[in-house]
Amino acid sequence: MDKLASQLHDDAQRIDVSVSDELDRRIEASLRAITPESEDSRPAPVARPPLFWWASTITGVAAAIALIAIANWRAPVQPVSPPVNIAAAIPAIELNAETAMLTGPLQQELDRLQSDLKKAEEKVKQDIGL
Amino acid sequence: MSDELKLIAAAKAGSADAFADLVRAYRVRLLRFLLTRSPSYADAEDVLQDTLIAAYRYLHSYDPRWRFSTWLYRIAIRNAAKLRGPDLVEIGDLRDEENDPLQQCIADSETDNLWVSARQLLNDEVYSAMWLRYAEDMSVNDISKALDRSASWTKVNLMRGRRVLETHLNGAAQQSEAYG
Repeated sequence: MDKLASQLHDDAQRIDVSVSDELDRRIEASLRAITPESEDSRPAPVARPPLFWWASTITGVAAAIALIAIANWRAPVQPVSPPVNIAAAIPAIELNAETAMLTGPLQQELDRLQSDLKKAEEKVKQDIGL
Repeated sequence: MSDELKLIAAAKAGSADAFADLVRAYRVRLLRFLLTRSPSYADAEDVLQDTLIAAYRYLHSYDPRWRFSTWLYRIAIRNAAKLRGPDLVEIGDLRDEENDPLQQCIADSETDNLWVSARQLLNDEVYSAMWLRYAEDMSVNDISKALDRSASWTKVNLMRGRRVLETHLNGAAQQSEAYG
């Protein structure tokens, strides 16, 4: 036994208790006042007559049949809508667009930049007298 | 057949005297444990009485494969837990030191009792596991049956409980060294 275990064991033994005579009498009186339950002292489940079982089964089945009949009695006819052609409703997407349509704005921007560059070069040449 | 089994058989047949003889050896041990779990001495006595009455009444459900003490402790732990009510207040927080039955029962002792610290540091279940292991020398299997827990839960929590108490003891030792 290690140190902690031995200290716990010893400390538990140092808790000074005693069962008083009064408690002893109380316990004995309580024990005499009751009788221990035995396994056969539990109330056995009451066996019902077979007629009862048949009656409840027939009632259950009849109730189920009545419920199904009432639910289906003059059930409103659900309106059936005609099938919709989904393919026709979706607009066709143009997938074979020309490359120029996609690169056009970029080309225009490039042309403008080149023109600005040419103008700037000419101005510089004029300024230095070439 | 051992004496204990003979007494159990007689008690099952309805002999209150046989049952009283059977539990005589366990009453002080149970009361000692219940004192550490109850807010007052009177409560501990009431729980002991309830435990013994329940044990006698339901003795037919006792399985002889268990140790009788394990079964008794299982009932006692459940009854002690009922004292706390549905709010599950930890028993360490229930009382003031002046009326604490554990403090009263160790008043004559000159050194600190580790169970007082254990009650403050451990939760109820771990405390009970530690008590059954170290005060009652129960096996891990018996403790897990008494607490209605798995053996692995019991092992892990015994280790945790030990670690907490060791840390506490080391801390207390360092503090006393620091104060010279």
